[in-house]
Amino acid sequence: MLKFRKLKGNQVVLSLVALVLGFLVAFSYSITERESESKGPVITDKQWEQNINLKKQLADQVTKNRELQTELNDKHDLVREFEQELAQEAQVFFNLAEDAEKYRMYLGKVKVKGNGVQVTLKDGEYNPDEKNINNYLVHEHHVFKVINELYISGASAISVNGKRLTHQSYIVCNGPVITVDGSPFPAPFVITALGDPEVLSSALNLTGGVKDQLVNDSIQFSLEEKTGVIMDPILGG
Amino acid sequence: MWLPLMGLIIGVIIGLLTDIRIPDEYSNYLSIAILAALDTLFGGIRAQLQNIYDEKVFVSGFFFNILLAASLAFLGVHLGVDLYLAAVFAFGVRLFQNIAVIRRILLTKWTTNEEK
Repeated sequence: MLKFRKLKGNQVVLSLVALVLGFLVAFSYSITERESESKGPVITDKQWEQNINLKKQLADQVTKNRELQTELNDKHDLVREFEQELAQEAQVFFNLAEDAEKYRMYLGKVKVKGNGVQVTLKDGEYNPDEKNINNYLVHEHHVFKVINELYISGASAISVNGKRLTHQSYIVCNGPVITVDGSPFPAPFVITALGDPEVLSSALNLTGGVKDQLVNDSIQFSLEEKTGVIMDPILGG
Repeated sequence: MWLPLMGLIIGVIIGLLTDIRIPDEYSNYLSIAILAALDTLFGGIRAQLQNIYDEKVFVSGFFFNILLAASLAFLGVHLGVDLYLAAVFAFGVRLFQNIAVIRRILLTKWTTNEEK
């Protein structure tokens, strides 16, 4: 009995020792585990060195990138300046081209197409009461009046019986015909003008204007608004 | 024999379940304490095999060594000298010696048993 108790006491002490040992080992183990978890993966010296090298390379690249980026920005600015200059030049050229086109049209060097009006002047009906036949014939000054009025109202091109007028055209009364730039034309005279039809027709129809004056001279005057009038360039112009 | 084994298992479980955080510098003490405990344990086994086992010496040695090792490490940290290395060295050497003695005793026992 005594021996048994002694054995039992022995075992209790031993188990106490075992308990303490187990506790220490397990506790230490869990602590080490936690530490290595918080520290992250272990890296060797070589990896460390490599890491530093790579970081250095990355930093170099970043610096280089920044430099290149500034350079790129500068170049962009330069390109933009060039573009603006080009745009200005293009604008100038465009204006010049437009002007040239306009002047060509005035000079009759190009075929033009547009809306306009057509005025037809016919000799008046034979009137037995009128002694002087000249009183109801179309004269060159009648044609002049119409042409002048059309030019004043903004017509950009005018032709008489298909003969286009230029800045140096001449119209002469030559007996029964009138001569435009050397080509004779008999009545009736068809004067075609390019321009805003409304403006041109209202200018001619003005009260006491060209139309009234011509009608007073017993001339048959007819006015037509036309679209898609085509005028060919002057030959030899 | 099952009671000490049970104690070991319970100790391990308690140790794994304990969630006390101790500062990094104190984990040294713990490793020293473990070394001391192992040393004492193997010393006890050797004494048992040599038939000079004394329970009082064993138990007192167990706890006293743990405390001594821990306090030595503590002192070392505060003095700026790595005194815990001394404990590691001493316990390590003794651990190997003890294990060597145990191995020899077991070997002789085995050979004599075979001769019989």
